[in-house]
Amino acid sequence: MTAITPSSTLGAPRAEQTNRIWNVVRLHLTNTWVIVQTPAIILALIFAVNYAIWTVLDVSIQMDSGEAVDGTQWSGAATFIFVYMSVVAAQAITVTFPFALGYSVTRREYYLGTSLLFVLVSAGYAVAMAVLAAIEEATGGWGLGGHMFTAVYFGTEGGFARLFVFFSMFLFFFFAGAAIATIYMRWRMYGMIAFWAALSVLLIGLVALFTYTDSWADVGTWFATNGASGVAAWLLIPTVLAAVTGYLVLRRATPKN
Amino acid sequence: MTAATNPTAPVVRVDGLTKRFGSFTAVDGVSFTLEPDRIYGLLGRNGAGKTTLMQLLTAQQFPTTGGIEVFGESPMENPAVLRRVCFVKESQKYPDDWRVKHVFASAPWFFDNWDAAFAERLIQEFRLPMKRPIKKVSRGQLSAIGVVVGLASRAPLTFFDEPYLGLDAVARQIFYDRLLEDFAEHPRTVVLSTHLIDEVSNLLEHVLVIDDGRILIDQDAEDVRSSAITVVGGRRAVDAFVAGREVLHRDGVGGLASVTVPALTDAERRDAADAGLELAPVSLQQLIVRRTNTTEKEFEQTS
Repeated sequence: MTAITPSSTLGAPRAEQTNRIWNVVRLHLTNTWVIVQTPAIILALIFAVNYAIWTVLDVSIQMDSGEAVDGTQWSGAATFIFVYMSVVAAQAITVTFPFALGYSVTRREYYLGTSLLFVLVSAGYAVAMAVLAAIEEATGGWGLGGHMFTAVYFGTEGGFARLFVFFSMFLFFFFAGAAIATIYMRWRMYGMIAFWAALSVLLIGLVALFTYTDSWADVGTWFATNGASGVAAWLLIPTVLAAVTGYLVLRRATPKN
Repeated sequence: MTAATNPTAPVVRVDGLTKRFGSFTAVDGVSFTLEPDRIYGLLGRNGAGKTTLMQLLTAQQFPTTGGIEVFGESPMENPAVLRRVCFVKESQKYPDDWRVKHVFASAPWFFDNWDAAFAERLIQEFRLPMKRPIKKVSRGQLSAIGVVVGLASRAPLTFFDEPYLGLDAVARQIFYDRLLEDFAEHPRTVVLSTHLIDEVSNLLEHVLVIDDGRILIDQDAEDVRSSAITVVGGRRAVDAFVAGREVLHRDGVGGLASVTVPALTDAERRDAADAGLELAPVSLQQLIVRRTNTTEKEFEQTS
């Protein structure tokens, strides 16, 4: 047995380890339906329903002032996809993590591979939605003045700003969903109760703070001055926090029996 | 030269290993070693600590105290160790949206020695429905999927946790036959965990019996089998013969008695034959059942 035979030595070369992290990405994409086809189909269906509504509104515009279609810029139709990706991320942790351990993947390899997947999918969807938003703009709301991908929350600062907003939002929803799921994997039901209780207290505390200091106007101003891309940039902070927390929690998590 | 590259160094070395879940002690101060290229039986009753022990060895659970070395290193977050290990879990869950074929598409990425042709042959023999959603396959087919992954991965250290749950007799025989055939060509360390001992008794070279989180027996399978013998005959003759001996088990119908005692010397065997008694071998399962029962009684008496 010589040291030259790679299979006979324990130390895995760096390239080998990178390969194992990439294999975790492939593991998540073994069946692409959950991440690619299903959300795309649902998004298409939501679009179809919206298109029908815009058509109805378009007819009514002939008689009315046109305010109705303007209101679609407050559409929340595209937000489903972010929540959906949060659920995908949570399932990746609760189902694929125990499974990956069975394939003798380390927790570190699993988390790095899964994070890489989140970044890649976020980028892919951000590009797709930015392209759809650009088409929506160029066609004057699909010829009907409708808004789905150019809702005001996604920004009014142009295509690239919107791309960044989408990317940041996807990252946030992926890593937040995953981090919450790691808390479940580590501490099960008690972890969930503690987490949601703490989050509720935090949110109620913030509401109380803003109310008693009479600073809701300042909050509004903050959002207005930062703009969608500014807020999306700030969103990266909780995203990174969630990503790091998720890793630290998962490092000591054990699969359910 | 590290222990890992030394072909005769133990594959697994466990020292004073304990795992507690709250106030429940699943594994209680266990020490043993596993030698390379042998088939081990990890035997014990349900809840004895078999699965927990294997989860500790594969770094899925964290030990409370004690040391674990696999291929000479700690398995914790150690890709160099874990990539040489395959653990087929009894309750293995697969992603909900998967079909059977997805398991065999992804497994080769993770096991260096994966043999695709062998996997293909096993899939045919177990008649696995490749296109069926994983949520719709039967318990036996789920077990068969695990068996195929465990065999075709050819990992230097392979754990099978209750591998044949729900498998029919034909499928079980296929598993045993293929395991032995493949083991002969590609020796590796195999750990079979089960509570159906007689089923696998012929495969095992060494047995580890765990009860209540403790190792009760750590012996060569042959030594265990020959460690006791059953003396059968008329009650009076049997009683006279076993007087002063340790009695492991006693059975009797009418005037007949059947008593299991520790191994006999050749002279003692002749004495038994002279007394008109018959000697019968004890099956591994019977022996283990008896030994685990004994300790339970002892435990009750001391507590």
